[in-house]
Amino acid sequence: MKIEDRLSLLNYKTDKSYEHITINPSICETCPDHFCTFACPAKCYSLIEEKLNFKYEDCVECGTCDVACSHGSVAWNNTKGGHGVKYKYG
Amino acid sequence: MSEFDVIVVGAGPAGASAAIKLATSGSSVLLVERGDPPGSKNVSGGVLWGDSLGSVAPDWEKAAPMERYVEAKGVSFLTKDSKISIDFRSKKLQERRSGYTVLRTKLDGWLSKKAKDAGAMVASGITVDKLAFKDNRVIGVEQDGDIITSDIVILAEGANPRVAINSGIRERLKDRDVAIGVKEIIKLPEKTINERFNLTSSKMGFASEYVLGFLEGGVKAGGFIYTNKESISLGLVISMKEMRQNNNTRSFDLIEQFKEHPYIAPLIEGGRVDEYSAHMVQEGGLKSVPQLYGNGFMVAGDGAGFSFSNGMVLQGMNYAIASGIAAAESAIKAKIKSNFTREGLSSYEERLKSSFVLQDLMNFKGIEEVTWSDMIHRGIPNMSEELFLSLFSENGQPKAHLINLLIGAMGHSDVPRKDMVINMYRMLRRM
Repeated sequence: MKIEDRLSLLNYKTDKSYEHITINPSICETCPDHFCTFACPAKCYSLIEEKLNFKYEDCVECGTCDVACSHGSVAWNNTKGGHGVKYKYG
Repeated sequence: MSEFDVIVVGAGPAGASAAIKLATSGSSVLLVERGDPPGSKNVSGGVLWGDSLGSVAPDWEKAAPMERYVEAKGVSFLTKDSKISIDFRSKKLQERRSGYTVLRTKLDGWLSKKAKDAGAMVASGITVDKLAFKDNRVIGVEQDGDIITSDIVILAEGANPRVAINSGIRERLKDRDVAIGVKEIIKLPEKTINERFNLTSSKMGFASEYVLGFLEGGVKAGGFIYTNKESISLGLVISMKEMRQNNNTRSFDLIEQFKEHPYIAPLIEGGRVDEYSAHMVQEGGLKSVPQLYGNGFMVAGDGAGFSFSNGMVLQGMNYAIASGIAAAESAIKAKIKSNFTREGLSSYEERLKSSFVLQDLMNFKGIEEVTWSDMIHRGIPNMSEELFLSLFSENGQPKAHLINLLIGAMGHSDVPRKDMVINMYRMLRRM
């Protein structure tokens, strides 16, 4: 099963006015490993034409990327106002 | 004068248990949870071990939304072609106590309601940004610039402790502290689950941990399968260190390899994946435990690094509940003495040290080095496969004694014989 199909099973209340995680593109540009693209279990980080692409909308708020990025690019905050992922089972 | 005696941040098992205990004993409590409803952001593998809930909810076994009672507990080593298992089943597990499989949205929702019924104020969908300080002591929590005051704050925010980090009371997590856990809920009819896992009723549950010695690239990971009433929780845990060392595996792909194993696939065949989730698992043992208390605050549950894994069992919720209750008891004591300083809350650490929470972490110091060793992930699976192939196959040749088969099998383990013997001894001692 593809990760995209797995993510499509999830319910999100997306916060359109607040991105709870932001990255610093200038750090990612020179990153030697892009470990985030391997570690993030929701495939929020991907390389498109060798450029790091990040989408906060699919985030399941596990915090993995903040530990994975050893270059200081990830700024991680909790979602606000009950936004973000909403599990059915957990 | 504070608005609340205690503010509890996070309505998981640790926070909700603390809130129930506090409210029951007459303290004014605010339980703040960023998920709405409580439980909707919470994930765990799925077995609640032991009876920690008993002291705050004596009726929990009957009243709480449990899935199945673990009467069958497995531990398996998987190689590419084989499965070597202990499949322990005993009617005595009921009286000795094992655990229940649970789904967290249900369990945590129930616990929050219990806290509310006991008199706690439950605020869900509210995200605490950081602790509020005055004169070097915590005076409450800050949310969107507003401060809500309390004599004590209990932080029970889970495996991704943002409030503690933002408040400067702990460092950011490091590779050694955590593993990545991914999980799927696979729907199957109750009857099919009973048949496939050899369960005699829908109350009886199966829980098993797997050492995945067959993953591509030799990546080390642990798997689990737990039976719920009408679904299976199947997941995989991989340490951050291991992920980084094998920088060609994607965390979300590994679970597919587990599901496709020849002896796992038939268990979930025809099942429909109904949810995918991910969660960090505390893996660092004692050295990952942060500052547990200070002037006006205490830290409980996953956020305090409380969990236990020796490769054969994986536990967290029981540590969360026990530490949450210990924090509540220490808060009650502090209130009686009107001393909310670090010294006034120091009984928290004493309580943890005299219970399994810190004792297990102290007694099993360094266990994570064993659970992620070559010995566990390659040595034992490969050796056992060869040993049992020799024992259980028949090729018309004269038979060898067990000891000779064992020595021969060690040669197939990918780990030098001498290391195997030394490591086996170390492993047994540490486990």
